[in-house]
Amino acid sequence: MKSAANAIRTHSLSRQLIGGVLLAELLCAALFSAVAIGHEMHGRRRAFDIMLRGRADSLLGAVRDAEDPEDNVIVDPTELVLPAQDVYEVLSPTGRVLGHSPASSAGLLAALSAPHAPGTFNFRAGRERYRAVRFDGVRVIDREVNGGLRRPVTVLYAAPTRDLWHGAVEAVWFYIAASALLLAVTGIALVWFLRRRLSPLQELAEIAGRVSTHSWEFVPPAAVLRTTELAPIALSMEELLKGLQLAFERQRQLTGDAAHELKTSIAVLKSSLQLLSMVPRTAPQYEAGLKGLLLDSERMEELVSRMLTLARLEEAPVEERESCELQSVVREVAERLRPLAELKQVVLQGSAGEERLVAMHIDDAELLCSNLMVNALQHSAPNGRVSVTVQALDGVTELRVADQGDGIPASALPHVFERFFRADRSRSRASGGAGLGLSICKAIVERSGGTIHIESAVGTGTEVTVNLPALQISAQN
Amino acid sequence: MRVLVVEDEVRLANNIAEALRERCGFAVDCAEDGTDGAALTEFKHYDLLLLDLMLPGLDGLSIVRQVRRRKDMTPILILTARDQPAQVVELLNAGADDYLTKPFDLGELLARAKALIRRGKGAPQPELTVGRITLNTVEQTVRCAGELIDLSPTEYRLLEYLFFRPRAIVSARELLEHLYDYNWQHHSNVIEAHISNLRKKLRAVGEETTIATLRGRGYRLEAPEQQL
Repeated sequence: MKSAANAIRTHSLSRQLIGGVLLAELLCAALFSAVAIGHEMHGRRRAFDIMLRGRADSLLGAVRDAEDPEDNVIVDPTELVLPAQDVYEVLSPTGRVLGHSPASSAGLLAALSAPHAPGTFNFRAGRERYRAVRFDGVRVIDREVNGGLRRPVTVLYAAPTRDLWHGAVEAVWFYIAASALLLAVTGIALVWFLRRRLSPLQELAEIAGRVSTHSWEFVPPAAVLRTTELAPIALSMEELLKGLQLAFERQRQLTGDAAHELKTSIAVLKSSLQLLSMVPRTAPQYEAGLKGLLLDSERMEELVSRMLTLARLEEAPVEERESCELQSVVREVAERLRPLAELKQVVLQGSAGEERLVAMHIDDAELLCSNLMVNALQHSAPNGRVSVTVQALDGVTELRVADQGDGIPASALPHVFERFFRADRSRSRASGGAGLGLSICKAIVERSGGTIHIESAVGTGTEVTVNLPALQISAQN
Repeated sequence: MRVLVVEDEVRLANNIAEALRERCGFAVDCAEDGTDGAALTEFKHYDLLLLDLMLPGLDGLSIVRQVRRRKDMTPILILTARDQPAQVVELLNAGADDYLTKPFDLGELLARAKALIRRGKGAPQPELTVGRITLNTVEQTVRCAGELIDLSPTEYRLLEYLFFRPRAIVSARELLEHLYDYNWQHHSNVIEAHISNLRKKLRAVGEETTIATLRGRGYRLEAPEQQL
C-alpha cells in the first residue's frame, strides 16, 4: 500500500478545487484592479496633457523682446508661477535656446530637447519619468506697432509623472483592498464549505479502507447514500463486497473441507498402522489389519482422484469441439454397471431413444452417467428398479435417472450438490463415497451449460433430471 | 473407566476404541453422529468424552456446550482436522479440556486420555497410593510394598476405579456403568464376584486395606485411618 502510494503521485480533489476557485478569483481581482488603474490613468493622463499644454501656453506668453540690437526674444518667467520640478525650454527656429527652467540640470534639458515630433512624448532622465509636450507657436510681440512682430518659437514643456501614477493608484486603492478582502473571505468560506460538502467522500474512503479479507464489513454512511454522485459507487461496492465475501468464504470453507477430509483419511491410516504395531499380534490379526489398511488407502486414493476431477472440471473451460452422443454413453455405462445391479438385485433399465449429441467430453459424460447410476443403484433395495431415460425436448436433451430407493430427507435435499455433503454418513462411507459424486455431476453439467435438478421423497425414491443444450447432428458433421 | 468416542469416520472410531480397550483397559462406546453422541452423554456414565469436531447432526462444539450447561464435569478431548487458533480458543472457552489435531499419534491420544481422566478425578500423578498399595495407571500394575499383585484386567479396572474415589461409597450400579460398555450384558453379581476375588488377593499379601460391602449401598475402599 505504502509503496503504491509512493509510486503514484496523489492529489487531493478538495485542494485542487479550492486552489482552482481561488486562482480564478485572484485573476478576476487582478484584472479588475488593472482595468480600474488603466481607466484612472487614462483620465489622469488626459488631464495631465491639458495641464502641460496650459503651462506651455503660459510659457509662450512669457516670450518677450530681448531689447537687444539683434532684435532677439527671450523668455521672461518672472511673472509665471510654475512648479519647481517642471522642465521647460523655448527654442528659436534656428535651434537657439531662448530660455529654460532655471533650476533644471543640463542633462535634463538635453533629454527634453532631444529631437521629437510635435505633440506629447515621454522621456526619462535619471530616475525620474517625465511627460512632455512640444509645439511650435508664434509669439506676436508689440501687436500695437505695425500689427506686431511675429516670432516663431518651439516650446518644450515637461513635468514628472511620478504623482500621476501615485494618484491613480491612490484613487483605485479602495477597490484593490476591497477585492483582496473579498478574496480572503471567499477563500475561507470555500475551504469550509468544500470540507463540509466533501466529507461523505472522505467517510466513504475511510470505510472502504477498513475492508480486508478478515473484515468484510462495509456499511455506507447515510451521508454517502444521500449524495447523488456517491450513492451508486457505495451501493455497487457494497454489493460487490458482499459477493466477494460469499465467494471468499465459500472458497475458504471448501479448502477447509478438503483439508478435513484428507487429514481424516490420513488419521485413519495412521491410527490403523499404530494400532497394528502397538503390541505383537498373530499372523491372522496382521492379515486382517493389512486388508483394512489396503481398503483405507483405496478410499483415500478415490477421495484424491475425485477432488482432482472436481478441480479440473472447475478450472478448464469447455472446449468448442467437445461433444458426444449421450444415448450410447448411457448404454455403455449401463452395460458396465450390470454386475453391480445384479449384485444388488436391482433392475437397471435404460431407454432406447434417438441419438442425441451433447457438448460434453465423452469421459465427462461417462462420469456423469456412472455417478448418477451408481448412486441410484446403491440407494435401491433388492427387487427395486433404476430407470435411465434420454429424451429430446424442445431444444434440450434431458437425461433422467430415477430409483425406487429410500429417498433423501427434505432437510438434506438442498445440500446434496454441496461438496463433502453426505445425507447418510455411515452408509456413504461404507460405500466409499466422499460426498463429491453429485458435486462432480453438477460441475460437469454446468460446464456444458446445462442444469441439474433433484427430486426425492423418503420411501418413494429419488429422481435426478439433467437438462443439456441439444446440438444438431447435421451441424456437427 | 468408560469412554465415549463420537466420530463419524467409523474406521477411525474403531481404531481409537480398540486402542483404548487394549492399552488402557477402558470400556468404550462409539457414536457415529452428534445427536446420538449428545444423547449418550446425558447418562453421565463416562469418565471421558472424545469428540470429533465436524459431525453430522450436532457438531462437537455444540455437544461440549450442552454437556457443560448441565454442569457435567466429565473431561472432554476434542479431535479436529482444523487447527486455527481462533477455533481452538473457542473450543477451550466452551469447556473442552484438550484437543488433538488429525492426523494424531495414537500413543499420544491414549496418554492424553489417561491424563485427562486422572486430572478429572483429582489425581495429578499416574501413581495412586492407598495404605501400602500403589496403583500405577500407566503400567496398569498394582503393588503392595513393592511386591506385584497379579490381577485380572477386570479386577484391575475395578480397583483403579475405587482408588480414584477412596473412602467414598461406590454403588454396584455405578461400577457397572463405568466399567462396561453397552455391548456387555449387565449383571450386578459379576461385580460382587470380582470384588470378592480382589479382597482375597489383597488379603493374600497381608494388606489391611480392604473393600467393604455396605449392604444395599455399595462398596468402599477402606484403609487404616492413619494411612489414608
